[in-house]
Amino acid sequence: MSVSTVRRGVRRPGFSLSLVLPVGFVALVVAAAVIGPQLVGVDPLAQNLLSRNEGPSAAFPLGTDHLGRDVLARLIVGARLSLWTGFLGLFAALLIGGVLGLIATMVRGPFELAFFGAVDLVRAMPGVLLALLLVVALGAGIGPVALALGITFAPFFAHVARATYRREHGMTYVTAARTFGASERWILSFHILPNISGAFVTMAAIILPRCIVTESVLSFLGLGVEPDTPTWGRMIAQAARFLERNPTAVLAPVLALSLFTLSLTLVGDRLRARFDPWRLVGSRS
Amino acid sequence: MREVAALAGLLRAAGLVVGITLLIFLFVRVVPGDVVDLVGIEGGLTDAMKEEMRQELGLNQSLGQQFVLWVGQLAQGDFGLSIRYHRPVADLIARALPTTLQLAALSFTIGLVLGVGAAVAAVTWPRSVWPSVVQALNVWSIAVPTFCAGLLLIFVFVLWLGWMPLLGNLWLASIILGVDVAGQLTKPLHEDLKETLNATFVKTARAKGIRPILVIWRHVLPNSLSVLLSLSGLVLAGLVGGTITMELLFGLPGLGKLALDSVLGRDYPAIQAVAVILAVSVVMVNALVDLLARLIDPRLS
Repeated sequence: MSVSTVRRGVRRPGFSLSLVLPVGFVALVVAAAVIGPQLVGVDPLAQNLLSRNEGPSAAFPLGTDHLGRDVLARLIVGARLSLWTGFLGLFAALLIGGVLGLIATMVRGPFELAFFGAVDLVRAMPGVLLALLLVVALGAGIGPVALALGITFAPFFAHVARATYRREHGMTYVTAARTFGASERWILSFHILPNISGAFVTMAAIILPRCIVTESVLSFLGLGVEPDTPTWGRMIAQAARFLERNPTAVLAPVLALSLFTLSLTLVGDRLRARFDPWRLVGSRS
Repeated sequence: MREVAALAGLLRAAGLVVGITLLIFLFVRVVPGDVVDLVGIEGGLTDAMKEEMRQELGLNQSLGQQFVLWVGQLAQGDFGLSIRYHRPVADLIARALPTTLQLAALSFTIGLVLGVGAAVAAVTWPRSVWPSVVQALNVWSIAVPTFCAGLLLIFVFVLWLGWMPLLGNLWLASIILGVDVAGQLTKPLHEDLKETLNATFVKTARAKGIRPILVIWRHVLPNSLSVLLSLSGLVLAGLVGGTITMELLFGLPGLGKLALDSVLGRDYPAIQAVAVILAVSVVMVNALVDLLARLIDPRLS
């Protein structure tokens, strides 16, 4: 038993077999996203009009779609695009919600009121509807979609920022640091931030799969990224019309997306248990 | 104190409604090019005709004046004319509303029965399979997007087994959304029920020899009613997104389909109207739910 276990008085979840599969799948998708496109060597946009809607074969392991494009190649490039858009969205949400939220909570006054008023407004809108309207206003493409995701999910980080900052700010160790003459900036960077970063990691683990899913929903609805950008959602949307004739072209991205978000969620649950001790202690949260 | 809190809640809801209306108005007006340009491209209008049309639609006025004009019309039930269908948006909405309400009501009922049932079963028989069911429903609703679940079920039940038709299949759509709703409800409800189980009044009831099932139904579950209400309000917001994808997938002519068609067809009056209706009804239901939760649960005030 390590010292930290004794100090916290809670059992840390250990390594388990149920974690191997999700972690493995996430690693596989990340690897495919990072090095896959170079390995495949097949152009995911190359149309092969003589072999449209074909089933799996030696030449096309997952068959072809309605334009004769290699589904496996598209799946791998799609992993990169979906992941990239999701991460950009998460980053935007963290920046808009987390950083601005922290600043607003620190400076107080009218800025805090205005910022959290806007946050309330965004939070009151149904998520997909908000993203839909934002995409209408911002236009198509990975950048605008990521910004739309960022705005949609920013309220979650803003609330984490305010709640954790206020909680830590009232703690004795902050008062102690202030008594020793530490500046507010020093206290924030070296005392408060390390203590609240866990909550942000936890929230990020929840939001990342939701960003990826929301992007795919937007793509599925025919909005979001450009038509020739094969994110998983876009692949599903394009192949869905041919579900009867060519189910692999739909089921491959559907399974990839579902298994990936499932794995991310399971890994995220573990991260939460690991990084958010308050949640485990229960009565403190 | 309770009246003050209720009033504050209503004021907040009113503020949100005004803010959301303004937000939606701005979103749609931010888009470069206006309605007249779009119609002009299709109808080959001359500049003079465009100018006349702008005058008629009030697009020459300032943004503030336009907003006031639009809100004034909204308040009178005038949602403007759809550019695509050349018909009052109110007509389109009136035709689409029943489908969406049916879908939402059916999904919500399925979700409520499944979610509450699983959570109650999980606290009643903690060593059975039910806690795992709660967990599985929760993970499913987080991880599997409804449109993916929809495509999978369509593939299995419609195309493979051929058990049911695809178009207009309200039941399959409701089951998919219902499972999603159940997953969102059941986990937090289960947590809350477990917490109540540790309360002393539950121990007292048990010590008096009341049957375990009655303890849960009469003493534990009523305590979680306010939690269930608040959760339902949250779930409703998610249901709006779900109905859009389900209506597209199953070809149901509802509000979500109308919203999507207007977005894709750049039918701005329709987008604005549908978005305002969806968003404002979510806010109002949430305000109502808050009020109700306060009424039945004195701990909240």
